[in-house]
Amino acid sequence: MNSGEDKYKIMLSGYIDGELSSDEKAELEMHLKTCSDCRKELEVFQELKEVTGAMKYADIPEHVWDNYWRGIYRRLELGIGWILFSIGAIIILACMCYGIFQNFFLNPDEPLILKIGVGTIILGAIFLLVSVTRERIFAYRRDRYKEIKR
Amino acid sequence: MSATRADDNNLIAEIVDGDKTAMRALVEKYKRKAYFLALGMVGNSDEAMDISQEAFIRVFKSAKKFDQKQKFFPWFYSIIANLCKNDLQRREKRDSKAVDLEESDFLLVDEGNPETKLIRKEEAAMIRKALSELSFEDREIIVLKHFRDMSYDEIAKLLNIPKGTVMSRLYYARKKLAKLCHELR
Repeated sequence: MNSGEDKYKIMLSGYIDGELSSDEKAELEMHLKTCSDCRKELEVFQELKEVTGAMKYADIPEHVWDNYWRGIYRRLELGIGWILFSIGAIIILACMCYGIFQNFFLNPDEPLILKIGVGTIILGAIFLLVSVTRERIFAYRRDRYKEIKR
Repeated sequence: MSATRADDNNLIAEIVDGDKTAMRALVEKYKRKAYFLALGMVGNSDEAMDISQEAFIRVFKSAKKFDQKQKFFPWFYSIIANLCKNDLQRREKRDSKAVDLEESDFLLVDEGNPETKLIRKEEAAMIRKALSELSFEDREIIVLKHFRDMSYDEIAKLLNIPKGTVMSRLYYARKKLAKLCHELR
Protein backbone atom coordinates (compact mmCIF):
# COMPACT_ATOMS: atom_id res chain seq x y z
CA MET A 1 0.00 0.00 0.00
CA ASN A 2 1.24 3.49 -0.81
CA SER A 3 2.22 5.79 2.01
CA GLY A 4 0.79 9.13 3.15
CA GLU A 5 -1.84 10.93 1.11
CA ASP A 6 -1.93 8.30 -1.65
CA LYS A 7 -2.85 5.65 0.88
CA TYR A 8 -5.94 7.57 1.95
CA LYS A 9 -6.90 8.42 -1.61
CA ILE A 10 -6.82 4.76 -2.60
CA MET A 11 -8.81 3.89 0.51
CA LEU A 12 -11.60 6.18 -0.75
CA SER A 13 -12.51 3.50 -3.27
CA GLY A 14 -12.77 0.86 -0.57
CA TYR A 15 -14.75 3.28 1.59
CA ILE A 16 -17.53 3.94 -0.92
CA ASP A 17 -17.70 0.23 -1.77
CA GLY A 18 -17.91 -0.82 1.89
CA GLU A 19 -14.74 -2.87 1.53
CA LEU A 20 -12.67 -1.37 4.39
CA SER A 21 -12.24 -3.03 7.77
CA SER A 22 -13.68 -1.10 10.75
CA ASP A 23 -10.17 0.06 11.73
CA GLU A 24 -9.39 1.29 8.21
CA LYS A 25 -12.77 3.00 8.03
CA ALA A 26 -12.20 4.82 11.33
CA GLU A 27 -8.69 5.85 10.21
CA LEU A 28 -9.98 7.24 6.93
CA GLU A 29 -12.88 9.06 8.58
CA MET A 30 -10.41 10.69 10.94
CA HIS A 31 -8.30 11.77 7.95
CA LEU A 32 -11.35 13.10 6.09
CA LYS A 33 -12.06 15.52 8.93
CA THR A 34 -8.85 17.36 8.15
CA CYS A 35 -8.36 16.80 4.41
CA SER A 36 -10.63 18.81 2.10
CA ASP A 37 -8.94 17.35 -0.99
CA CYS A 38 -9.96 13.79 -0.03
CA ARG A 39 -13.46 14.96 0.94
CA LYS A 40 -13.88 16.54 -2.49
CA GLU A 41 -12.67 13.41 -4.24
CA LEU A 42 -14.98 11.28 -2.10
CA GLU A 43 -17.94 13.39 -3.22
CA VAL A 44 -16.94 12.96 -6.88
CA PHE A 45 -16.68 9.19 -6.47
CA GLN A 46 -19.99 8.98 -4.65
CA GLU A 47 -21.67 10.93 -7.43
CA LEU A 48 -20.08 8.64 -10.01
CA LYS A 49 -21.36 5.61 -8.16
CA GLU A 50 -24.83 7.10 -7.95
CA VAL A 51 -24.92 7.84 -11.68
CA THR A 52 -23.69 4.41 -12.72
CA GLY A 53 -26.00 2.79 -10.16
CA ALA A 54 -28.95 4.21 -12.07
CA MET A 55 -27.76 2.54 -15.28
CA LYS A 56 -28.40 -0.99 -16.38
CA TYR A 57 -27.50 -3.20 -19.32
CA ALA A 58 -29.95 -3.46 -22.16
CA ASP A 59 -31.31 -7.00 -22.08
CA ILE A 60 -31.99 -9.02 -25.18
CA PRO A 61 -35.25 -10.82 -26.05
CA GLU A 62 -35.84 -14.21 -24.43
CA HIS A 63 -35.99 -16.02 -27.79
CA VAL A 64 -32.36 -14.95 -28.43
CA TRP A 65 -31.36 -16.64 -25.17
CA ASP A 66 -33.38 -19.71 -26.18
CA ASN A 67 -31.41 -19.92 -29.44
CA TYR A 68 -28.04 -19.25 -27.81
CA TRP A 69 -26.99 -22.90 -27.58
CA ARG A 70 -28.17 -23.54 -31.14
CA GLY A 71 -25.90 -20.69 -32.30
CA ILE A 72 -22.88 -22.28 -30.62
CA TYR A 73 -23.73 -25.73 -31.95
CA ARG A 74 -24.09 -24.31 -35.48
CA ARG A 75 -20.67 -22.67 -35.19
CA LEU A 76 -19.16 -25.92 -33.94
CA GLU A 77 -20.70 -27.84 -36.85
CA LEU A 78 -19.49 -25.19 -39.32
CA GLY A 79 -15.98 -25.42 -37.87
CA ILE A 80 -15.93 -29.23 -38.17
CA GLY A 81 -17.41 -28.97 -41.68
CA TRP A 82 -14.70 -26.55 -42.80
CA ILE A 83 -11.93 -28.69 -41.33
CA LEU A 84 -13.24 -31.83 -43.10
CA PHE A 85 -13.81 -29.91 -46.36
CA SER A 86 -10.29 -28.43 -46.22
CA ILE A 87 -8.67 -31.82 -45.54
CA GLY A 88 -10.62 -33.41 -48.41
CA ALA A 89 -9.81 -30.52 -50.78
CA ILE A 90 -6.09 -30.68 -49.93
CA ILE A 91 -6.01 -34.47 -50.54
CA ILE A 92 -7.82 -34.13 -53.89
CA LEU A 93 -5.61 -31.22 -54.99
CA ALA A 94 -2.48 -33.12 -53.99
CA CYS A 95 -3.64 -36.17 -56.00
CA MET A 96 -4.43 -33.97 -59.01
CA CYS A 97 -1.06 -32.25 -58.85
CA TYR A 98 0.69 -35.61 -58.54
CA GLY A 99 -1.29 -36.97 -61.50
CA ILE A 100 -0.54 -33.92 -63.69
CA PHE A 101 3.13 -34.02 -62.72
CA GLN A 102 3.47 -37.75 -63.42
CA ASN A 103 1.40 -37.96 -66.59
CA PHE A 104 2.19 -34.63 -68.16
CA PHE A 105 5.35 -32.95 -66.93
CA LEU A 106 7.33 -36.20 -66.60
CA ASN A 107 5.95 -37.63 -69.86
CA PRO A 108 8.76 -37.46 -72.49
CA ASP A 109 6.18 -37.66 -75.32
CA GLU A 110 4.71 -34.25 -74.44
CA PRO A 111 6.47 -31.35 -76.22
CA LEU A 112 8.58 -29.09 -74.00
CA ILE A 113 6.92 -25.90 -75.24
CA LEU A 114 3.51 -27.24 -74.18
CA LYS A 115 4.88 -28.14 -70.73
CA ILE A 116 6.27 -24.58 -70.38
CA GLY A 117 2.92 -23.12 -71.50
CA VAL A 118 0.85 -25.23 -69.08
CA GLY A 119 3.36 -24.61 -66.27
CA THR A 120 3.15 -20.84 -66.85
CA ILE A 121 -0.66 -20.91 -66.82
CA ILE A 122 -0.67 -22.86 -63.54
CA LEU A 123 1.84 -20.48 -61.94
CA GLY A 124 -0.10 -17.46 -63.18
CA ALA A 125 -3.35 -18.87 -61.79
CA ILE A 126 -1.67 -19.42 -58.40
CA PHE A 127 -0.36 -15.83 -58.35
CA LEU A 128 -3.79 -14.47 -59.33
CA LEU A 129 -5.52 -16.54 -56.65
CA VAL A 130 -3.11 -15.37 -53.94
CA SER A 131 -3.37 -11.74 -55.06
CA VAL A 132 -7.20 -11.70 -55.22
CA THR A 133 -7.49 -13.46 -51.84
CA ARG A 134 -5.08 -10.98 -50.25
CA GLU A 135 -6.99 -8.04 -51.76
CA ARG A 136 -10.33 -9.40 -50.53
CA ILE A 137 -8.99 -9.87 -47.00
CA PHE A 138 -7.52 -6.34 -47.06
CA ALA A 139 -10.80 -4.86 -48.35
CA TYR A 140 -12.84 -6.80 -45.76
CA ARG A 141 -10.70 -5.47 -42.90
CA ARG A 142 -11.14 -1.88 -44.09
CA ASP A 143 -14.84 -2.12 -44.97
CA ARG A 144 -16.59 0.36 -42.67
CA TYR A 145 -20.02 -0.86 -43.67
CA LYS A 146 -19.60 -4.61 -43.35
CA GLU A 147 -21.70 -4.69 -40.18
CA ILE A 148 -24.64 -3.11 -41.96
CA LYS A 149 -27.15 -5.81 -42.81
CA ARG A 150 -28.16 -5.50 -46.41
CA MET B 1 -13.61 -27.48 -2.77
CA SER B 2 -16.82 -25.51 -3.20
CA ALA B 3 -19.88 -27.09 -4.82
CA THR B 4 -19.78 -24.70 -7.80
CA ARG B 5 -16.11 -25.37 -8.43
CA ALA B 6 -16.66 -29.11 -8.24
CA ASP B 7 -19.70 -28.84 -10.53
CA ASP B 8 -17.85 -26.76 -13.11
CA ASN B 9 -14.78 -28.95 -13.05
CA ASN B 10 -16.94 -32.06 -13.38
CA LEU B 11 -18.65 -30.52 -16.38
CA ILE B 12 -15.26 -29.79 -17.96
CA ALA B 13 -14.17 -33.38 -17.32
CA GLU B 14 -17.36 -34.58 -19.02
CA ILE B 15 -16.78 -32.21 -21.94
CA VAL B 16 -13.30 -33.69 -22.39
CA ASP B 17 -15.05 -37.09 -22.67
CA GLY B 18 -17.21 -35.63 -25.46
CA ASP B 19 -20.44 -35.27 -23.48
CA LYS B 20 -22.69 -32.87 -25.39
CA THR B 21 -25.14 -32.47 -22.50
CA ALA B 22 -22.28 -31.23 -20.31
CA MET B 23 -21.42 -28.63 -22.97
CA ARG B 24 -24.99 -27.46 -23.01
CA ALA B 25 -25.22 -27.39 -19.20
CA LEU B 26 -22.10 -25.20 -19.04
CA VAL B 27 -23.50 -22.86 -21.69
CA GLU B 28 -26.86 -22.55 -19.94
CA LYS B 29 -25.12 -21.80 -16.66
CA TYR B 30 -22.79 -19.07 -17.92
CA LYS B 31 -24.31 -17.66 -21.12
CA ARG B 32 -25.79 -14.51 -19.58
CA LYS B 33 -22.72 -13.82 -17.46
CA ALA B 34 -20.45 -14.25 -20.49
CA TYR B 35 -22.62 -12.07 -22.71
CA PHE B 36 -22.99 -9.19 -20.22
CA LEU B 37 -19.28 -9.20 -19.36
CA ALA B 38 -18.43 -8.96 -23.05
CA LEU B 39 -21.11 -6.31 -23.55
CA GLY B 40 -19.57 -4.14 -20.85
CA MET B 41 -16.18 -4.33 -22.54
CA VAL B 42 -17.13 -3.94 -26.20
CA GLY B 43 -20.43 -2.04 -25.90
CA ASN B 44 -22.07 -3.70 -28.88
CA SER B 45 -24.74 -6.38 -28.56
CA ASP B 46 -23.87 -8.28 -31.75
CA GLU B 47 -20.16 -8.28 -30.99
CA ALA B 48 -20.82 -9.34 -27.38
CA MET B 49 -23.00 -12.23 -28.55
CA ASP B 50 -20.34 -13.30 -31.02
CA ILE B 51 -17.55 -13.06 -28.44
CA SER B 52 -19.45 -14.95 -25.73
CA GLN B 53 -20.31 -17.79 -28.13
CA GLU B 54 -16.74 -17.93 -29.43
CA ALA B 55 -15.50 -18.09 -25.82
CA PHE B 56 -17.58 -21.23 -25.20
CA ILE B 57 -16.25 -22.81 -28.39
CA ARG B 58 -12.69 -22.12 -27.21
CA VAL B 59 -13.52 -23.71 -23.85
CA PHE B 60 -14.74 -26.86 -25.62
CA LYS B 61 -11.67 -26.96 -27.87
CA SER B 62 -9.17 -26.46 -25.06
CA ALA B 63 -11.03 -28.29 -22.27
CA LYS B 64 -8.25 -30.91 -22.24
CA LYS B 65 -5.69 -28.24 -21.33
CA PHE B 66 -7.75 -26.96 -18.39
CA ASP B 67 -6.00 -27.47 -15.07
CA GLN B 68 -8.54 -29.15 -12.78
CA LYS B 69 -6.89 -27.52 -9.75
CA GLN B 70 -7.98 -24.12 -11.06
CA LYS B 71 -11.41 -22.55 -10.88
CA PHE B 72 -13.30 -22.59 -14.13
CA PHE B 73 -14.73 -19.08 -14.21
CA PRO B 74 -11.48 -17.03 -13.97
CA TRP B 75 -10.10 -19.18 -16.81
CA PHE B 76 -13.25 -18.63 -18.84
CA TYR B 77 -13.17 -14.92 -18.06
CA SER B 78 -9.57 -14.63 -19.31
CA ILE B 79 -10.74 -16.12 -22.63
CA ILE B 80 -13.61 -13.58 -22.83
CA ALA B 81 -11.30 -10.67 -21.90
CA ASN B 82 -8.76 -11.67 -24.58
CA LEU B 83 -11.47 -11.95 -27.21
CA CYS B 84 -12.82 -8.52 -26.19
CA LYS B 85 -9.35 -6.97 -26.39
CA ASN B 86 -8.82 -8.45 -29.86
CA ASP B 87 -12.24 -7.27 -30.98
CA LEU B 88 -11.62 -3.70 -29.81
CA GLN B 89 -8.16 -3.64 -31.40
CA ARG B 90 -9.58 -4.94 -34.68
CA ARG B 91 -12.36 -2.32 -34.70
CA GLU B 92 -9.94 0.46 -33.74
CA LYS B 93 -7.59 -0.51 -36.55
CA ARG B 94 -10.46 -0.67 -39.02
CA ASP B 95 -11.93 2.70 -38.06
CA SER B 96 -8.56 4.32 -37.20
CA LYS B 97 -10.01 5.57 -33.89
CA ALA B 98 -11.07 4.25 -30.50
CA VAL B 99 -14.41 2.42 -30.40
CA ASP B 100 -17.02 5.04 -29.47
CA LEU B 101 -19.67 3.79 -27.06
CA GLU B 102 -21.57 7.06 -26.77
CA GLU B 103 -24.17 6.25 -29.39
CA SER B 104 -24.43 2.62 -28.32
CA ASP B 105 -27.48 1.80 -26.24
CA PHE B 106 -25.94 -1.00 -24.18
CA LEU B 107 -26.14 0.97 -20.94
CA LEU B 108 -29.57 2.38 -20.30
CA VAL B 109 -31.10 4.43 -17.57
CA ASP B 110 -33.03 2.41 -15.05
CA GLU B 111 -36.76 3.17 -15.16
CA GLY B 112 -37.24 5.36 -12.14
CA ASN B 113 -38.31 8.86 -11.32
CA PRO B 114 -39.59 10.44 -14.59
CA GLU B 115 -38.35 13.89 -13.51
CA THR B 116 -34.76 12.79 -13.30
CA LYS B 117 -34.93 10.41 -16.25
CA LEU B 118 -33.87 12.99 -18.84
CA ILE B 119 -30.87 14.08 -16.78
CA ARG B 120 -29.98 10.42 -16.19
CA LYS B 121 -30.16 9.76 -19.95
CA GLU B 122 -27.66 12.53 -20.60
CA GLU B 123 -25.45 11.23 -17.83
CA ALA B 124 -25.64 7.73 -19.30
CA ALA B 125 -24.46 9.04 -22.70
CA MET B 126 -21.63 10.86 -20.95
CA ILE B 127 -20.59 7.73 -19.03
CA ARG B 128 -20.64 5.68 -22.24
CA LYS B 129 -18.46 8.27 -23.98
CA ALA B 130 -16.07 8.45 -21.03
CA LEU B 131 -15.88 4.64 -20.78
CA SER B 132 -14.87 4.39 -24.42
CA GLU B 133 -11.90 6.66 -23.74
CA LEU B 134 -10.57 4.55 -20.88
CA SER B 135 -7.91 1.90 -21.42
CA PHE B 136 -9.14 -1.71 -21.54
CA GLU B 137 -7.78 -2.39 -18.03
CA ASP B 138 -9.51 0.66 -16.53
CA ARG B 139 -12.77 -0.08 -18.31
CA GLU B 140 -12.58 -3.70 -17.19
CA ILE B 141 -12.32 -2.85 -13.49
CA ILE B 142 -15.10 -0.24 -13.75
CA VAL B 143 -17.40 -2.70 -15.50
CA LEU B 144 -16.76 -5.43 -12.95
CA LYS B 145 -17.44 -3.15 -9.97
CA HIS B 146 -20.00 -0.65 -11.21
CA PHE B 147 -22.01 -2.70 -13.67
CA ARG B 148 -21.54 -6.29 -12.49
CA ASP B 149 -21.54 -5.28 -8.81
CA MET B 150 -18.80 -7.72 -7.88
CA SER B 151 -17.05 -7.59 -4.51
CA TYR B 152 -13.31 -6.92 -4.26
CA ASP B 153 -12.76 -10.57 -3.35
CA GLU B 154 -14.63 -11.74 -6.43
CA ILE B 155 -12.73 -9.32 -8.70
CA ALA B 156 -9.40 -10.31 -7.10
CA LYS B 157 -10.10 -13.99 -7.78
CA LEU B 158 -11.33 -13.30 -11.29
CA LEU B 159 -8.33 -11.21 -12.31
CA ASN B 160 -5.89 -13.15 -10.16
CA ILE B 161 -4.63 -10.02 -8.39
CA PRO B 162 -4.46 -9.09 -4.67
CA LYS B 163 -7.47 -7.35 -3.10
CA GLY B 164 -5.35 -4.24 -2.44
CA THR B 165 -4.57 -4.03 -6.16
CA VAL B 166 -8.29 -4.15 -6.92
CA MET B 167 -8.78 -1.14 -4.64
CA SER B 168 -5.91 0.86 -6.17
CA ARG B 169 -6.85 -0.05 -9.77
CA LEU B 170 -10.41 1.03 -9.03
CA TYR B 171 -9.22 4.30 -7.52
CA TYR B 172 -7.13 5.27 -10.56
CA ALA B 173 -9.79 4.09 -13.01
CA ARG B 174 -12.49 6.07 -11.18
CA LYS B 175 -10.26 9.12 -11.07
CA LYS B 176 -9.77 8.96 -14.85
CA LEU B 177 -13.48 8.31 -15.43
CA ALA B 178 -14.47 11.24 -13.22
CA LYS B 179 -11.98 13.52 -15.01
CA LEU B 180 -13.34 12.48 -18.41
CA CYS B 181 -16.92 13.05 -17.24
CA HIS B 182 -15.95 16.48 -15.95
CA GLU B 183 -14.41 17.38 -19.31
CA LEU B 184 -17.50 16.13 -21.16
CA ARG B 185 -19.98 18.10 -19.06
